Amino acid sequence: MEIENTGKEKDRFIITVTGRIDAVTAPEFETRLLDWINAGETRLIVDLGGLEYISSAGLRSILTIAKNLKTKQGKLALCSLRDTVKEVFEISGFSTIIPVCESVAAAVKEK
Amino acid sequence: MPAVFKNRGIAFRLVFLILISDAAIFVCIFGYNYRVSRQIIEKDIRANARNLVMATVNRIDTALLPVEKIPENLAYFLENSPPLAEEELKGLLRAIVENNPDIYGAAIAFEPRAFGRDTRCQAPYYCKSGDSLRFTCLGSDSYRYFLWDWYRIPQETRHPVWSEPYYDRGGGDIVMATYSVPFYQTVSGERRFMGVVTADISLSWLTDIISSIKTAESGYAFLVSKKGHFLAHPQTDLVLKKTIFDEAMTRNDPDLYSIGMAMTEGKTGFSPLTSMVTGKACWIAYAPLASSNWSLGVLFPQDELTADITRLNHVVWTLGLFGFLLLAGVMITIASSITRPLRDLATATEGIAAGNLDVPLPPIKFPRDEVGMLTDAFARMVDSLKRYIRDLTETTAQKERIESELRVARDIQMGMLPKALPPVTGILEFDIYATLEPARQVGGDLYDFFLVDDDHLCFTIGDVAGKGVSAALFMTVTQTLNKTKAIQGRGPGEILSSVNKDLSVENPSFMFVTVFMGILNIRTGDLEFSNGGHNPPYLIRTNGTIEALELTDGLALGIEGDFSYLAKKTSLRTGDTVFLYTDGVTEAMNQKKELFTQKRLEQELSIRKNQPLDRMATGIMGRVKAFSEGEPQADDITMLIVRFHGQGDQGNINAQ
Repeated sequence: MEIENTGKEKDRFIITVTGRIDAVTAPEFETRLLDWINAGETRLIVDLGGLEYISSAGLRSILTIAKNLKTKQGKLALCSLRDTVKEVFEISGFSTIIPVCESVAAAVKEK
Repeated sequence: MPAVFKNRGIAFRLVFLILISDAAIFVCIFGYNYRVSRQIIEKDIRANARNLVMATVNRIDTALLPVEKIPENLAYFLENSPPLAEEELKGLLRAIVENNPDIYGAAIAFEPRAFGRDTRCQAPYYCKSGDSLRFTCLGSDSYRYFLWDWYRIPQETRHPVWSEPYYDRGGGDIVMATYSVPFYQTVSGERRFMGVVTADISLSWLTDIISSIKTAESGYAFLVSKKGHFLAHPQTDLVLKKTIFDEAMTRNDPDLYSIGMAMTEGKTGFSPLTSMVTGKACWIAYAPLASSNWSLGVLFPQDELTADITRLNHVVWTLGLFGFLLLAGVMITIASSITRPLRDLATATEGIAAGNLDVPLPPIKFPRDEVGMLTDAFARMVDSLKRYIRDLTETTAQKERIESELRVARDIQMGMLPKALPPVTGILEFDIYATLEPARQVGGDLYDFFLVDDDHLCFTIGDVAGKGVSAALFMTVTQTLNKTKAIQGRGPGEILSSVNKDLSVENPSFMFVTVFMGILNIRTGDLEFSNGGHNPPYLIRTNGTIEALELTDGLALGIEGDFSYLAKKTSLRTGDTVFLYTDGVTEAMNQKKELFTQKRLEQELSIRKNQPLDRMATGIMGRVKAFSEGEPQADDITMLIVRFHGQGDQGNINAQ
C-alpha cells in the first residue's frame, strides 16, 4: 500500500491511496490519516482510484476515520473507486454513510 | 593453507613458522660467514705460500751462487795467467774442495790434446770422500769426460751452465749436478776453447734443503730441473728417473702437466693441485731458482690449512644448532603458554556450543589482553543467553497459556455454532448444511439456523470485521442477539434493526459485523431476507440459473444504532438452493496475492449445483484450499447451504 498527500483544494485535503488495504496495511492507513486529522485536516478526500482491494479490516479503518472526523465536525469523502472496491462499499452499506464521488473534482464540489 | 597446518593449532603454526624463518636466516648468515672466512684464509695461504717459496728459493740461491763463483773465478784465473804446472792445478782444486763445504767436487777438464800427446793428467778432479779428499784423474778410457753433457754443453754454448743431475760413475760416484764454466786461450787474436772448470754439488745436499721444508702435516716441496726431472721429491724413486710430465701422464693429471710446463718455463704461480703423495686436494706454489733454471714447487694440503676454519665452522654449526634447539624450546613454551588460555576457552566454549551454558569459563589472568577480552565477552554472551533463554521460556509458557485459553475460547465459540438440527430431524422440506473452517487466529465468522416455529426456518451468516479476542467476543454477542431477537412473528429486517441497536450501544472500538438473515417458510418456500452489509448469497434455481440475492441496502451492524433494516422477499421452488458464504471464500489468497473471487465461486457452484450439500461444501472448500497453495489461511471460511424440498409456489398454488 502506498499512501500520500497529493494536494489541497480549498480546505479539502486530498490523499491518494494505491495498492491494498488489508489486515496488514490497515493499521498504517489508519495512523497516517489520524496523524493528518490531528494536524488539523478535517475535510479529507481520499482518492481510491489506485486501490485494488479492501478487506473488512480496511473498512473498519475507514469507519474509524469517519467516526473520528464526525466528532470534529469534519468530513470524509471517497472518490474514483474501482468497480470491485465500489461493490464492497455498496454491499457493506458503507456507501450509505460515507459519500462516494466519481472523481476528486466532484468531491471538491460537494459541500 | 599448506597441508602441514591442517588440524594444527595456533601454537604449532607460530613455532613452525618462526623456527623455519630462524633456520633460514641462520643458514644464510653461516653460508656468508663460511664463504668470506674461507676467502680470507685462502688469501693468507696464498701470501704465505709465496713467501715460503721465495724464501726457500733465496736460500737455495744463496747457497748456489758462491758455488758458481768459484769455477768462474778459476776460469778467469786460468785465462789470464801463464800456464800452471799440474801440481799447482791440483793444489788449487784441492783447496777449493777442502774450503767449500757446499762443493762436493771440482775439476779442470782441458780440451783433449790441448797439450799435444802429453802424459799429464788432462782432467784432474778432487771430490769429498768421507772426511778426506779423493783425487781422480778423469779422462781414462772408461771415463770419456768430453762426451758428458757437463763438458759438451758449455763447450758448444760457450756459456757457464748447470748440468742436469746425473750419476757420476767413475767420477764422484754420487748423484750430482755440475756447474761448468768454459775457459779460453787467446792465440793470435782468436779465443781458443781450452776446457771447462767445474764445481759439483751433491744432490743429497739439495734434497736436505728441500725436505726441510714442511707445510702443515702432509705438505712437501719438490724441485724440478729445466727438463722437468725431479731433482728432489719426497718419493725418492721419482728422483732423476721421472720427469714431472711422466708423472702427469701416469696420473692422467692435466693440471700437473700444465704446472710442469709453467715450472720448466721458469714461471711463478699458485694453483690447486692433487697431491702426488697423499692424493688430497692441495694448492701448489712454485717459483724458479735464479741461479739454475730449476724450479721449486711447494704443496699445501687444503684440508690441513683450512682445518682451523673448518673447526670454527663446526663450532658455529654446533652453536647454531644448540641455539636453534634452545629457541625452539623457548618458542614452544611461549606459544603454548600464550595459547593455553585460548585452548581452555575453546574447550569451555565447546561445552557451551553443545548447549551446556553452565560450563565454567577459564579464569581471566590478564583482563586487558585479547584472550581476556574474549573470555569476558563469552561470559557476557553466556549470561545474555541464559537470561534470554529464561525470558523465552517464561514467554513461551505464558504464550502457551494464552493460546490454550484462546483454544478454549475458540472451542466455546465453535460450540455455539449448530452442527445439525436435532429437534427437527425428519423434516423433509429442506436440507441444510454448514461448515466453518477457522483461521489460525481466533476469527469472527458466525452462522446459525433454527426453527422459529413449526413453519419457519431462520438462518444467518455473519462476519465480524477484524480478528482476535475482540472479534470473537463481538461474534458471540451477535450470535446470541440474533437468536434472542428472532422471536416468532418478527421479520428479518425488524430483527436486524433490533440486534444493530443493541450492538451499537457502547462500541468504542468501532467493531462491526455484516449479517445476512433469511427466514424461510418451509411450507410455502417463501423466503424473506435482510442483508446487513454481507456478501449477497446465491440463489441456485433448479433450471441452472445462479443469481445473487438482491441487496437490501443494509449497513453492517454496530455502526449506526438507529439504522432501519429493510427486508425483501423471494420464493423458492422445490430443489432451489441458497448458498451463503463469507469473504473467507472469495478472498482466499494464493502466493501471487490473487484472490479466489466470486467468479471462481460461481463456476464451482454451476458445476456442483446438483450435488448433495455436504459434497458441494467440501468440494468448494477443497478448491479454495487448492487455490491458496498452502498459503496460511488469513480468514475464517464459512459456508451455509439450504436446499428447499417443499412444494414451494407450486404447492401453495395447489393448496389454494
